[in-house]
Amino acid sequence: MNHLSSETFRENAKAALADAHLRGALKNATTLFGERRKQAAASLPNWEDLRTQARAIKDEVLLHLDRYLEEFVRNAESRGAKIHWARDAAEANSIICTLATGRGARVVVKSKSMTTEETHLNTALEAAGMQVVETDLGEYIIQLAEETPSHIIAPAIHKTRRQIADLFTAELGMVPTEDVAQLTSTARVTLRDRFAAADVGISGVNFGVAETGTIVIVENEGNIRLTTSLPRMHIALMGIEKVIPRFSDTDVFLKLLPRSGTGQRLTTYQSFITGIKRRATDEGPEELHIVLLDNGRSRMLAHPVTRQSLACIRCGACLNACPVYQQIGGHAYGSVYPGPIGAVITPQLMGIEKTSQLPYASSLCGACREVCPVKIDIPRLLLHLRGEITPRKGSLGERLAFKLWARVMMSPTLYKMSAVAGRLVQRIVPLSRAWTSGRDLRPIEARSFHDLWTNE
Amino acid sequence: MNNTAREAILGSIRSHLAASAPYDDQHELLVHHEHPVILSKISLVELFKQNVESVNAHCIITTDVTDALRQIIADLKARRIAISDDANVERWLRLTDLEIEKLGVVPDAQDIFRFDVGITTAQAAIAETGTLVLDSAHERHRLVSLVPPVHIAIVAASRIRETLSDALTLLQNTREISPTVTFITGPSRTADIELTLAIGVHGPQELYVIVNEST
Repeated sequence: MNHLSSETFRENAKAALADAHLRGALKNATTLFGERRKQAAASLPNWEDLRTQARAIKDEVLLHLDRYLEEFVRNAESRGAKIHWARDAAEANSIICTLATGRGARVVVKSKSMTTEETHLNTALEAAGMQVVETDLGEYIIQLAEETPSHIIAPAIHKTRRQIADLFTAELGMVPTEDVAQLTSTARVTLRDRFAAADVGISGVNFGVAETGTIVIVENEGNIRLTTSLPRMHIALMGIEKVIPRFSDTDVFLKLLPRSGTGQRLTTYQSFITGIKRRATDEGPEELHIVLLDNGRSRMLAHPVTRQSLACIRCGACLNACPVYQQIGGHAYGSVYPGPIGAVITPQLMGIEKTSQLPYASSLCGACREVCPVKIDIPRLLLHLRGEITPRKGSLGERLAFKLWARVMMSPTLYKMSAVAGRLVQRIVPLSRAWTSGRDLRPIEARSFHDLWTNE
Repeated sequence: MNNTAREAILGSIRSHLAASAPYDDQHELLVHHEHPVILSKISLVELFKQNVESVNAHCIITTDVTDALRQIIADLKARRIAISDDANVERWLRLTDLEIEKLGVVPDAQDIFRFDVGITTAQAAIAETGTLVLDSAHERHRLVSLVPPVHIAIVAASRIRETLSDALTLLQNTREISPTVTFITGPSRTADIELTLAIGVHGPQELYVIVNEST
């Protein structure tokens, strides 16, 4: 349905702006998440310290990523996990499909993972003949609707309960109701049956601890625990940037991530998984496979500005804070990662040619930088990426206009005259349509600052 | 094949980091300085209870675990009970003298879906967040604490730690880290439909925490 492309960002955004329902839903979601984040951050006396500490840890990892990855791999392997390396999405999907087919898998349950969205894993598994079931409630809804996530942590915020009720009635044979508890319970019952039938469980990874080889996964629903506990094989797809050095470092990240994402002190569940079970009588999968994915990440290490992108912990706070995301939502970005962080990550992952509109999807107001729990300077990254886009030669009119503007700005007399002229002209002619079609142009004040200063 | 990918990725990391070196001196890294944090002065048990209740779970502080268990199970009219392999859990449950239709000790993946209640202990708890810490090396807890609609967890008052950081330290100090450690803060929840909170989506709908003060 809404598989939009980044190449048509301007048109996508225009269509989203015309969708009153979408804008209402976005306003509710971003306001609520934003408020909760603010309260949660204020409840800790050392919030700023934690942000600095988290960023320092990430910087340390990224500057020595090869070493920390090797340490992570060594420790995970020594506890029975199997490690696979994937240079790109195709390689990751092929590894995972081979593992699942080798198990004779027919049903695969998945917990929410942006990284598997990035590699389009579901399409690959389905092509290999498997039934893939998303088990996070929001992901399950959009899978049934054949849509894509519109927010990193709330994938289905663009859908109303009415739409979800209709979907469940049509697809699952539910007795029609719009009661949220009933809808949730319908999903619970349907998905339990799939969990019981699943041969393989696939998850993402929030943090991989180098010191112990542990993977840490956070959630609220319990579907990740089911996905990683019930099937005989667990496959975890992990971006290479997810490594943290020490087990004790989970402290600072577990404080920042839930508070920044949903405003919770902790999400309901954290699973710390270290290798496979040691005794035959233990619970849990017989096999744990960790697939390490590069897919353009190592390239970002080549400059300190771009390297910051790899510090992201996918909390979604910058989406909620962004005045652009607040108006257009996630689909308009035409990429897996939306919002400010998406506008900087997507061009680096997919190449700037097809995504060159995304670094301009921002007013550079800096709200994203203010809320980022790992202090990523997103505006600076956006400018850096804009610098990489081959300059377009402006039209004759545009070039003349800028020449004229330069002349006017260099001469105080011309500047004053132009302000007077501007006040007159704005009463008669609507100015710069390209600018005013998407925003308001504030009228020039009747008296200039200069004027006020000299006369008072 | 996999070795090639491994070498390619590590090689790419190294060469790109090397390319960044000339720019790195111009960018100051953030340096962190520790600032001490003073937490609340009320007792750990009280703080823990407050925080457990703030996430929609029940908390009972008692010196008589059997009595608390009897009360909860009788109120729920639960008949089919799954328990972990912690020896105390079975002992407490027997002492309640309740009529149990079906008792499962660590039921397997096929059987676990047929119980009303799951009972486990917790090896530690975190007061500042109202969190239970369950450790698979000590007790087989994974499915019993997750699949039945109600989870009852018993934790010794002496095992309550003040902060998340204290609990993590505790985990790391106990020899080799366990294959699975689970943190549980309240019952399963979601807000994926119109941001409306719904309790009990995939995990338990109700969580009872019994703090045992007699140990």
